Amino acid sequence: MRHSTLLMTAALSAALLCGCSTPARRIDPTTQGLTTVRDVNTRDWNDVAARAVNSLIASGALVRPDGRKAIVMINQVKNRTGSRARTQILTNKLRQAMLASGKALTTTAVGGRGPEDNATRQVRELENDDLFNQATVQKRGTVISPDLSLSGEIINQSTRAGRTTENTFYFHVVLTDLATGLATWEDNFEITKQETVNIFGY
Amino acid sequence: MKRHFLTTAAALLLALGAVGCQDTVNTVENRDPAMTPDSVDTRAFSTDSFCRDRLALISMRRSTTPGGVMMVQAQIRSERYGFWSELWSGMTGTNPYHVLYRFDWLDGSGMAVSTAANAWQPLIFAPGEVKFIQGVAPNARCRDFVLSVREAPSAR
Repeated sequence: MRHSTLLMTAALSAALLCGCSTPARRIDPTTQGLTTVRDVNTRDWNDVAARAVNSLIASGALVRPDGRKAIVMINQVKNRTGSRARTQILTNKLRQAMLASGKALTTTAVGGRGPEDNATRQVRELENDDLFNQATVQKRGTVISPDLSLSGEIINQSTRAGRTTENTFYFHVVLTDLATGLATWEDNFEITKQETVNIFGY
Repeated sequence: MKRHFLTTAAALLLALGAVGCQDTVNTVENRDPAMTPDSVDTRAFSTDSFCRDRLALISMRRSTTPGGVMMVQAQIRSERYGFWSELWSGMTGTNPYHVLYRFDWLDGSGMAVSTAANAWQPLIFAPGEVKFIQGVAPNARCRDFVLSVREAPSAR
């Protein structure tokens, strides 16, 4: 009798625990996405990217006096926060915006951590391969060098007072004119998040 | 009678306390502005009467960036000030007021142009605060725009 009561209790507890789970589903990250104090979340990336794109396009920094499209190299956006922020999310959105602007093209032949696409160099190594029709092999001296470089860094400052934790992420993005080494556009974006935990610490 | 009076007085004090805790924004500007803005005639379609009553569109202006793309600016004021508004937002914990906004851009044919900047962006208003939100077209082919505003879930 006692054994069956225990079994019943265990089964009921298991059923209750299962009832708390939520099946995988698509969400709207703007309103349903998770917000955590320690990390840069999806909605933060979207917000910063939108602000950075607006600032960059409004600045006119991509416009060249000779009317030619500027060639932009995507350098590193350094993550100096304690969290594992994927800074490519920001640079990818910026490069998409630069391409869409019609004022710039991005190069994948060079990048902050080496070429993003090694193919530009690889195909030129076919010039000594008799397997290939040499007339179709890409020639040396045709790759276009970048005019501008996009780089930046993310830092954060965390403060704690009692049960409240506050974390501010500072995004700094710079566009450098490679001919002069001068920054033609730069901007800062901040995101501050705050959390107060209960007396049990969650 | 005395008990009734005390209850009313306590309720009134609580209400005044709640309203008194609000930090409303006060503004001042020059009476004769020197600027010559290019104003945009707007047409609004509102489905949220709460959001409509809580925010006022003061102006919508347009200009062109050095790169030749259209830039628009909406001047919006939070109308959540005054005794009852402040009392309600104080009681419901919705002060400051959180909203989200997004610009969508249309080309000369009325087709929507995809951009990395058309995500919903957060905006936080103190009672009576005026904010300027700006949108920049993704390219020079864009001719028109749609500005969408909604209450953030935390504002309800």
